[in-house]
Amino acid sequence: MVASPRLLSTRYEVEDERAARELFHEKGWTDGLPVIAPTPERVLSCLDQAALAPDHVIGIEPVRARPITAEKAAVNAVLAGCQPAHFPVVAAVLEAMCRPEFLLHGATSSTGGCAILIVVNGPVRLELGMEPTFNVLGMSDRASAVIGRAVRLVLSNVLDLRPGTLDRSTLGHPGKSGYCMAEDEEGSDWTPLAQLRGAPAGVSAVTVLAAGAPRQIMNEWTTAPEEILETFAAEMRANMLHYSIWGGNYAIIVPKQLRDRLRDAGWGKQHVQQFLFERARVKKRDWTRVGKGALVTVKNGDDEHVALTSPEDLLVIAAGGPAGGFGAVIPPWFGYKSRAVTTGVGVCFAC
Amino acid sequence: MYVLDPTAEAEPHPVSRAPRLGSLYHRSIGLLSNGKAAVAPLFDHLESLLRQEWKADEVLRRTKGNYSAPAEPDLIRELARCHLIFTGVGD
Repeated sequence: MVASPRLLSTRYEVEDERAARELFHEKGWTDGLPVIAPTPERVLSCLDQAALAPDHVIGIEPVRARPITAEKAAVNAVLAGCQPAHFPVVAAVLEAMCRPEFLLHGATSSTGGCAILIVVNGPVRLELGMEPTFNVLGMSDRASAVIGRAVRLVLSNVLDLRPGTLDRSTLGHPGKSGYCMAEDEEGSDWTPLAQLRGAPAGVSAVTVLAAGAPRQIMNEWTTAPEEILETFAAEMRANMLHYSIWGGNYAIIVPKQLRDRLRDAGWGKQHVQQFLFERARVKKRDWTRVGKGALVTVKNGDDEHVALTSPEDLLVIAAGGPAGGFGAVIPPWFGYKSRAVTTGVGVCFAC
Repeated sequence: MYVLDPTAEAEPHPVSRAPRLGSLYHRSIGLLSNGKAAVAPLFDHLESLLRQEWKADEVLRRTKGNYSAPAEPDLIRELARCHLIFTGVGD
């Protein structure tokens, strides 16, 4: 083991890729799937692509004051299968996650078991061949898979967030292996998510949300926007009763079939946000119907709880395959206590 | 071929341990709950023990505003007067 002259990470000499994979598994540095050997050359290529020095601090986890350097992020990105072109997106995601309002430590160590939902907007989606249509929440494309996985490996390896140690998730969910998607900007005339959240048009950006698993809905029996969205509202209300009553950044994914119905009626994202802001509400006494009556009193029974603290809390994402009256609600991990963050890829639009 | 270590490899900030107390008798004790319901009965019992068996001068019970975030600075400043603090995680 010797130190590279430019990179500070300890180097291990291995015979070949296979030996590298086994070394990383033995050390507990993987998610269980095969990894790509993070050679100094591959890591430097990632850093060059993002124009970041190895010692550049992408972000600092605020609670434990743990820095994430560009070098360590790049090592894990290579490990996850990233090509150099993917790395600027990974770096932007990590930067966004380190903003205090994201509550990174809580989100990644909580028993609540959320994952980091990543939504990519702008030209970088096309450059990376991201596929925002068929199977968008599953195995849609290479970039989505490796970017999501890279973030997971940074959490595990750089911030020591491994199951049973600092990661105390009771259940977790499949998104913890990678929860990255692109918005279907070409298939929609709605304003892209990042743009609604402050990004200039045409700039690549990522939005991160500490999020639960997607809850799929279906309504193919109406063309009325109010009825379509009432189904989304019902799922949000159900989440407030079954999981957490706290309001915050919910995300909804609206695939093309339902999107077309809304568009035909002249509904844009702001209409959707306003409708769901008004409809996704429960009364505390509703908890008695789901076995949580212990928390309901005569005094608080009429208290109203909102899923969204404002219409803008709702992240409306155009994505999904062209056919099917489906959609998805992605609930926040911990209501308003952890906020979604949007940041530019390789550019600071808030500076 | 060479491969690079993906872990932080940096020593966390050194933290020194406070001196251990020789006895719990007549001490000022803080009980800090993370806010989850299961902490309350545990702390009720603990407070009773501290007051009756250890003759605590003071038992200061406080609760964090957010169980997934560090305790608020004001709360930490207030608890700093205690000789010993128990933290309760109700999971």
